[in-house]
Amino acid sequence: MPRAFTLLGLLALAGCGAGVGTPNAKPATKADAAHAADGEKLEGKLVVTGSSTCAPLVAEIGKRFEQRHPGVRVDVQTGGSSRGVADPQTGIADLGMASRALKEDEARLVQAHTLALDGICVILNKANPVTELGDAQVAAIYTGKIGTWNEVGGSEAAITVVNKAEGRSTLELFLRYFELKSANVKASVVIGDNEQGLKTVAGNPDAIGYVSVGAAESAARSGAPIKLLPMNGVAATVENIRNGSFPLARPLNLVTLPNPTGLKKAFIEFALSKEVHDLIREQSFVPVE
Amino acid sequence: MSRGRAADRLLALAVWVSVLAVAAVFFWILGSLLWSGMGRVTWAFLTTAPRDAGRAGGIGPILVSTLLILGVCMAVSLPLGLGAAVLLSEFAEAGSLFGRAVRRSLDVLAGVPSIVFGLFGTALFCQALGLGYSIFAGGLTLACMVLPILIRATEEGFRSAPSEYRRAAAALGMSRASALWHVLLPAAAPGLLVGLVLGMGRALAETAALLFTSGYVDRMPESLLDSARALSIHIYDLSMNVTGGDPNACATAVVLVALLLAVNGLAAWMTGRWLSRRVLPA
Repeated sequence: MPRAFTLLGLLALAGCGAGVGTPNAKPATKADAAHAADGEKLEGKLVVTGSSTCAPLVAEIGKRFEQRHPGVRVDVQTGGSSRGVADPQTGIADLGMASRALKEDEARLVQAHTLALDGICVILNKANPVTELGDAQVAAIYTGKIGTWNEVGGSEAAITVVNKAEGRSTLELFLRYFELKSANVKASVVIGDNEQGLKTVAGNPDAIGYVSVGAAESAARSGAPIKLLPMNGVAATVENIRNGSFPLARPLNLVTLPNPTGLKKAFIEFALSKEVHDLIREQSFVPVE
Repeated sequence: MSRGRAADRLLALAVWVSVLAVAAVFFWILGSLLWSGMGRVTWAFLTTAPRDAGRAGGIGPILVSTLLILGVCMAVSLPLGLGAAVLLSEFAEAGSLFGRAVRRSLDVLAGVPSIVFGLFGTALFCQALGLGYSIFAGGLTLACMVLPILIRATEEGFRSAPSEYRRAAAALGMSRASALWHVLLPAAAPGLLVGLVLGMGRALAETAALLFTSGYVDRMPESLLDSARALSIHIYDLSMNVTGGDPNACATAVVLVALLLAVNGLAAWMTGRWLSRRVLPA
């Protein structure tokens, strides 16, 4: 009998004790005492929340930053660009991530720091004979005015329209470019992340979707049966995003309250520097030159 | 051949087909997971930290985080669950309004979608109690989710103990506490085991409730107040958000399934030991 008690007790102890003993055990969401001046040691914790598109990249940047400054912890959380804009204001996060430009009313409250660029392109399954769609045709497909592929030069099959879930910046950007309203979009499938969009279109020869160019390019390179449609005659490539000719591009931003200081400022400077360009390219995005 | 015989055979056939169909689905899932993921599961994969957003490297910190989250969840839910089950089965009258109300609310709670628990956990543990994104917040949120299952299964276990046990214990002059500990708890152990297995299964598989409570950070946790990524979230992120993350997502899934089997095995072994102490013959 005592043995079972001891076991439970140990479990409980392990549960409570581990948190108390360590020095880092602070439920801090604010960056603690940080000094950004040259030569001084950076210390504290940065909580970064927001866009799931940015999250893997910022997490990698955070790891490299932690290596440079062993006293710093960068915690990256996801949730979408809307949270990335809201959380720095409510204080839940020190920095936000948004994979879109700030809206006018947001720009009055927070400041955006562009760390990379990303483009959005329309993708089709490789088996689909259609090779180009005009802006008006894409808009007509997404509003349900065109329902089968033969209306745009394809097969008899009905079109499977893949749309993004509300709150995703890819959706907002796509809607603004094609001058669509969310309520008018007739979607067959609603998806969350880039990878999900790629998989849906790769698995369905009659599907049309839109995803990040970087993600689509690297998926196509690794053999996924998808093709990237040109936009307004401009091929959807990372190169065309960098030179600014691709029409549907978006910035990946770090979001802060105006004039960040201390640790936040140091991290932003690091994330915008050349030192992380290899990380940005690894995640299939385009560094800002 | 009589008509009855034919009907019997048909029934047997139908039963076999359904059993095989269910088993086939299970082996299909397991087989395809092992096929695409097993080759990557090495000692280095289990012990090193992820690199390149999880495409390369291992899952060491994530495995540790998952065990810590599960540990917090079980350390909180096991005593609370046992207590509540004892109250419901031994102290509340079987048909009383109180008992029925508690049971009904537990059943409703058991059916609540996990994302709702996630939002509740974010609001209560992360924000109101100031735990932030942390292993504690994740474990406590999971405990809320697991409790209804654990309580109801354990209560069933207590109820399955014949009332002669209680009377005999009273006749021998045993205190209620010692009757509970020596007689009823061992008798209820199978129910507790069912609750544990189901509860831990739900906890380990959970993604939605953890995304906004224990969070997304894949560093080795330094304390229970650190944010930490669970295996299920790692799988979700690799397969749905990271291009080219599929191979490691499969390998992580293999580890998750193996961990689930191991944890269930451990629970069965511990309950078995408990069972062997029982005063009464099986």
